[in-house]
Amino acid sequence: MFEQWWNEEDMSHGLVVPILIFWVIWRERDRWRALRSQPSAWGFGLLAAGAGLHFAGVLGVGLFAGSVALMISIAGAVLCLGGFPFLRMLAFPFALAAFMLPKLAFVYNQVTLPLQLLASRIAAGLLTLARIGVIREGNILDVGGHRVDVAEACNGIRYLFALGLMAVIFAYVADSKPWMRWALLAAAVPIAILANAVRVAVAGWLPFLDSGFPHAVSGWLIFTLCLAPLILLRELFNKVYVSCQSRA
Amino acid sequence: MNKAAALFLGLTLPFCLNAQISLGPTVATFGVLGGSTVTNTGSSVVAGNLGVSPGSAITGFPPGTVTGSINSANSLAATAQGELTTAYNLAAGAMSTSGVPANIGGLTLTPGVYTVASSLGLTGTVTLDGQGNPNSQFIFQIGSTLTTASGSSVLLINNAQASHVFWQVGTSATLGTTSSFAGNILALSSITVTTGATLQGRALARNGAVTLDTNTVNAPGFSPPPPPITPAPSSLILITTALMCLGMYQMRDRLLRPFRRG
Repeated sequence: MFEQWWNEEDMSHGLVVPILIFWVIWRERDRWRALRSQPSAWGFGLLAAGAGLHFAGVLGVGLFAGSVALMISIAGAVLCLGGFPFLRMLAFPFALAAFMLPKLAFVYNQVTLPLQLLASRIAAGLLTLARIGVIREGNILDVGGHRVDVAEACNGIRYLFALGLMAVIFAYVADSKPWMRWALLAAAVPIAILANAVRVAVAGWLPFLDSGFPHAVSGWLIFTLCLAPLILLRELFNKVYVSCQSRA
Repeated sequence: MNKAAALFLGLTLPFCLNAQISLGPTVATFGVLGGSTVTNTGSSVVAGNLGVSPGSAITGFPPGTVTGSINSANSLAATAQGELTTAYNLAAGAMSTSGVPANIGGLTLTPGVYTVASSLGLTGTVTLDGQGNPNSQFIFQIGSTLTTASGSSVLLINNAQASHVFWQVGTSATLGTTSSFAGNILALSSITVTTGATLQGRALARNGAVTLDTNTVNAPGFSPPPPPITPAPSSLILITTALMCLGMYQMRDRLLRPFRRG
C-alpha cells in the first residue's frame, strides 16, 4: 500500500490517512477510557476471514484483497481484545481507512474513461456557455487551435478522493451527525467533478495554464476554491436541521 | 588521368544535379512560411506549422486555425527559412530535362525537371504521373510567376506524391479561387492563395508575404504534436491543502479575534 501511496499521484493521499486515523483515535481518548472491555469470540471468525482473504490475495487476487484482509484482521483483533463497544468506537477510523485502500483495478478501469469524457463534455459546455468556441473530439478539446488532452491523469479522481476525504473529516470535526457525513460525502462528488471540469476548461481557454508549474498552481487554486461550496453546504444543512428540530 | 576525371565528372554530374531534392526536417513541418508577413482572411485551416521570418506579422489566426504551432520570427521559423533557401537553390540548380509551354493545363507530365523562362499558367487540369514510383520527383523551374486559374487542379496519379513536387517560382505565385493545387511552392517573393483554394503541399515564401483566404493547406506527412495533457495536482497536495483550510476554518474565531478587538 505504501508503495502505491508513494508512487501513484492518484493515491498519494493515502500517506495522510493513517495520521488522520491516529488523530481521530487520540481525539476520542476520553471515550476509550470510559469503555469496558468485553472480548468476543466473533473476533476469531473475523481473523480467520482476514487470513483467508490474505491467502487469496497472495494467490493472485491482488493487492486490494490483501489490504482489505489487513483491515478485517485488525477489526478481528479489536473484537477479540475489546469486544463490540471498542469496534463501534472504531467505526469512523475504519471508514477513513477505506480512503487508503489501493485502487481496485477493475473499478478504476471502468470509471476512468467515463470520468475523462465527463470532464471533457462539461469543460466544453462551460466554454460554450462562456461564448468561447470549442471543438471536442472525444477527450481532446480544441479551443481556437489550442488543443488539450483530458488524459487519464486528468479524469478528476484525485479531486474526488481528496474532496471526499476532506468532506468526511470536515463533517467529523464540525458535526457529529452521521447523516451529515454521508450528505457531505455525496455533495463532494458533483463538486469535485465540476471543479475538475472547470480546471480543464481554464487550461483550454488560457494556453499558458496548460502545462508545467502554472497548470499545477491553477489546479491547486481551483481545488482550494471548491472547498467553499462544501463549507457553505454544511452550514446550509445545519441550518435546515436546526430549523426542523426547533419546529419539532 | 585528367581525361578519366573529366569522364567521371561528365557521367556523374547530371545525376548529382538531379539528385532527389528534399526539404530540410524543420521546413518540412511547415504548411505555411512567409518572409515578411502571413495574412489570413476567413476560416483557413493549416495542417502543419505556420511561421514567418525575418518578418514577424501574422494576422488572421483565429479565425484561421493551425494544427501545428505558430512561429513568429523565432528560431524555428529562422531555421525553416534557412532550409527553404537551400531547397530553393537546389531546385533552381537542378538540370532541366524538358521545357514546358506557358500554360500546362491539359498536359500529363512524367517525373522530371521542367523549365519555363518566364511565367507559368495553369488552366484546367495538369496531371502528374508518378509511373508507379512513390519517390518520383517533379521540379518546375519558373522564371517569374506561377498563376493558376479559378477551379484549376493538379492531379497526382500512379503514386505521384505531393511532397515530391516542387514549384520553384522566381517571383510570386497566385492560386486561383477554388483551385486544387498540389506540391511545395518555393517562391522567392510572395504567395497568394485566393478564396476557397486548397493546397496539398506547402506555401513557402522566402522574402515576401503569404496571403490566405478561406483555404485548406495540408503539409504532407505532418503529424501534429500530441496536445498537452492536463493532470490534476497529486491527491497528497490536495488533501494537505484541504486539511490546512479546514484547520483554519475551525480556528477562525481564534484567528480573527485580534482583528475584531482592533
